[in-house]
Amino acid sequence: MRIGLKGNRLLEYLLVFIVAVTLNFFLPRLMPGNPLALLAGVDVGLMTPEERAEVIIEAGLDQPLWKQYFKYIGNLLRGDFGYSYRQKMPIIDMIMDRLPWTLLITGLSLIVSSILGVVLGAIAAWYRAKAIDISLLWTMILLGSMPSFWLGMLLISVVSVENRLLPSFGAITPAMSLTGWEKTKDILEHAVLPVTTLSILSVPGIFLTMRYTMLGVLGEDFIRTARAKGLSEKVVLFRHVVRNSLAPVVTILAIRLGYAFGGTVVTETVFSYPGLGRLIYESVSNRDYPVLQAAFLVITIAVLVSNILADLMYPILDPRART
Amino acid sequence: MRTKEKQNKTRLFFLGVLVAIMLIVTACAPQPAPAPAEEPAGLAEEQPAAEAPVAEAPSEETEETEETPVEEVVEEPGFMVERFRAAIIGDESTLNPFTYVTGEPGWNVLMMQYDSLFTMNIVGEPVPWLVTDWSLSEDGLSYTLSLRDDVSWNDGTPFTAHDVKFTFDYLTLNAVGRFARDIRGFESAEVVDDYQVVINLVNPNPGYVRLAFADVPIIPQHIWEGVNDPQNHQFEDVTNVGTGPYMLMEYAPDQFYRFVANENYFAGMPTVGELVLIKFADDAGAQAAFRTNEVDMIFRVIPPEQIDLLSMVDGVSIAQGPLFGTQMLMMNYDVEPFNLVEVRQAVAYALDREDMIDTVYLGAATAGSNGWIHPDSPFYNSQIVQEYNPERAVELLESVGIVDSDGGGVREYEGAELSFELITPSGNALRLRLAELIKEMLAQVGIQVNVASVEQTTWEDMVWPEFDITFGRSYELSMWGWSAPVQADVFRAPELVHSDPLIGPLNLSGANSEDIDRIANEMASSQDPEYRTEKIKELQQAIADEMPFVILMYPDGNYAYWSSVYDNLAFIAGQGVVNKLSFLPESARP
Repeated sequence: MRIGLKGNRLLEYLLVFIVAVTLNFFLPRLMPGNPLALLAGVDVGLMTPEERAEVIIEAGLDQPLWKQYFKYIGNLLRGDFGYSYRQKMPIIDMIMDRLPWTLLITGLSLIVSSILGVVLGAIAAWYRAKAIDISLLWTMILLGSMPSFWLGMLLISVVSVENRLLPSFGAITPAMSLTGWEKTKDILEHAVLPVTTLSILSVPGIFLTMRYTMLGVLGEDFIRTARAKGLSEKVVLFRHVVRNSLAPVVTILAIRLGYAFGGTVVTETVFSYPGLGRLIYESVSNRDYPVLQAAFLVITIAVLVSNILADLMYPILDPRART
Repeated sequence: MRTKEKQNKTRLFFLGVLVAIMLIVTACAPQPAPAPAEEPAGLAEEQPAAEAPVAEAPSEETEETEETPVEEVVEEPGFMVERFRAAIIGDESTLNPFTYVTGEPGWNVLMMQYDSLFTMNIVGEPVPWLVTDWSLSEDGLSYTLSLRDDVSWNDGTPFTAHDVKFTFDYLTLNAVGRFARDIRGFESAEVVDDYQVVINLVNPNPGYVRLAFADVPIIPQHIWEGVNDPQNHQFEDVTNVGTGPYMLMEYAPDQFYRFVANENYFAGMPTVGELVLIKFADDAGAQAAFRTNEVDMIFRVIPPEQIDLLSMVDGVSIAQGPLFGTQMLMMNYDVEPFNLVEVRQAVAYALDREDMIDTVYLGAATAGSNGWIHPDSPFYNSQIVQEYNPERAVELLESVGIVDSDGGGVREYEGAELSFELITPSGNALRLRLAELIKEMLAQVGIQVNVASVEQTTWEDMVWPEFDITFGRSYELSMWGWSAPVQADVFRAPELVHSDPLIGPLNLSGANSEDIDRIANEMASSQDPEYRTEKIKELQQAIADEMPFVILMYPDGNYAYWSSVYDNLAFIAGQGVVNKLSFLPESARP
């Protein structure tokens, strides 16, 4: 048995990476609008043409695209993401400030939603076509179709504004200099609503995958064999059915893990959560190209890495995939 | 073995699953109460009647929604409030003069840490601040400024004339951004002694005190002289070295700023000990946190529909006053028949501004003057009249042969129906509503308008490509608005209407009127304040006659704040309440 990637598979990933980096460079530049307003501030109209030119030159935007492109690649290789147009800070610092917050809420919601999704999916499949299956199915479809901004605002309004149970924004109570347990508690309280929102939105996908896979497994011959052997329902369920249904779910989770780095633009914006998603949102609305490129690059790498992980894990879960 | 479950057991389980998600929400300990809204010690209630100069300020009074017990408060040294939390939208970076992000509230918050030579008083006039005495030479080229000798940088270094000279020289050398533009026309600075400096200009510029002296933060020479790339320079210490009433102590990206009062501030001890600015991603988040008093104020104008809603909350007040922003309808001279003055006049007559203000702004705006300048300005020409008169609009249209010959309800000009596209930026709900009203009102006089909501930058590109009017324009009708600085200095009016792109770089409609050009040139030729005042009034009349755009309204500034927490805000006409005067005792305000 060999677990690992074949050489050409690795090459494929490298190719995907290069294409992604290139697209990443061109996309923001194809958007309409002029970054001059942002570079120079609101009174841009009062600048002389010479002053405008100077601003553009300073930002390197006067260079031909291909020159900008090679400069970009060169800087990437040196790990230099440059400076934000808007905030005039090293982009790498900006990303590192925000990444932990994003990983906190997306990580927690990934755990919560996988547990709920797998458990509920298994229950639904086990009691197929019973009232409980039907109700779960409907509930999940309902939850899955809720827009995240709406759900977030609803939670803020009901939980924070009407009942004052939890803070409505941010990752921590501002400027309180909390330490130790107090700080942990504060951070967790702030994470509850964003994590709830994210979890509610991602449970249905996992639930449906789990349910359908398990329904397939339940119809397999080896399950009938297991039952015929006189194994208890418990043993059948946990040792044979659930275990054999997990492979596709794990693949989905691995891919979601990759996207977790990108944060969740809408949820972080609704809750004013200081994560990467909010940075992306603000950079898009201000055409802060370099920040966008760096953020997308982080997501690209994370998705590729988690895909590789899924590739590696699949054979462990499913012996048929082993080479 | 599986047993058949009872039906109600299943139902119970189903319910359990449904509430499981709700449990995640509710199964958490309640949050610790937000920082207590302490009864501010030594908070003296405003008594406008006792303060004559303040009482004169237009619309300065804030709504008193609650009974204020008349109580003799013993004056004691200390802050009125220990901590004040305000919401801002977005991150303003490290908040030094080269890194702050937005004009509002970025500049306003920047100026909490720095001082300028002059500052605005409540009525929006520049008054000496770091300066004690000043004089202008006869030729209008040299300002001699005497400086305060009791000012220190917050790192302890004394502030001197060398810092002033350095600031002007440094901004000339690093000519990027608002402040470099402010000081345009600067030639040289001479230090006479530690507390006197002479600023020389290339050409006389009567607006210089307002444009440069009251806008540019003076920066410390000992900090910046070694910095070659001010925009991207990263300082070790988070605290920016300024002379202002507040010092930045903590910067948490996308989360908050924490400022601490500079107790040695030369103008007086600040009223709030700690100023925390909390960064929200959008308005909705800031408003939710405001309602729960997780923040005490929003450092941004609230939309009209929120005014009544928020002022009903017990403990919340609304600070209201004039801002010099505008809502306007632009008409492109290149699109026939907007090249005809009768047509532009007709459009203005057909628009019912009061109706728009009531409908869209719920009354919280001042009707636009056809002469551009706000009625609250001392330079306003009160002779200018604007009226809603659709009959007059019809007469004017028919006087140039624009009639509805086929009876279809839409007039024709040279055989083609009078139909235009009115563009408005998609992110601005107020402008969209105004545009819809304009469409209805113009339909009444037989002009067809189709409202197109376009993405912000696309809209800018159509009206003001490359922010350079020599590139022309590709709109027919457009919603537009200028920010307060454009109007705050009334003598900038020629920039909007002069046909020479160098004098009129903001002439977005393509106006070319000999009258306007002549009056503007006459105004520019003189330094005599009286003559210039006479000319600016003449110019307003000329603009009203030419009607290159319709000024719909000047929206009022409405700021929501918890007056139960802190009630000492200063509304500076044209600038709003986000300023250092709001955090200084009344006795320290100029």
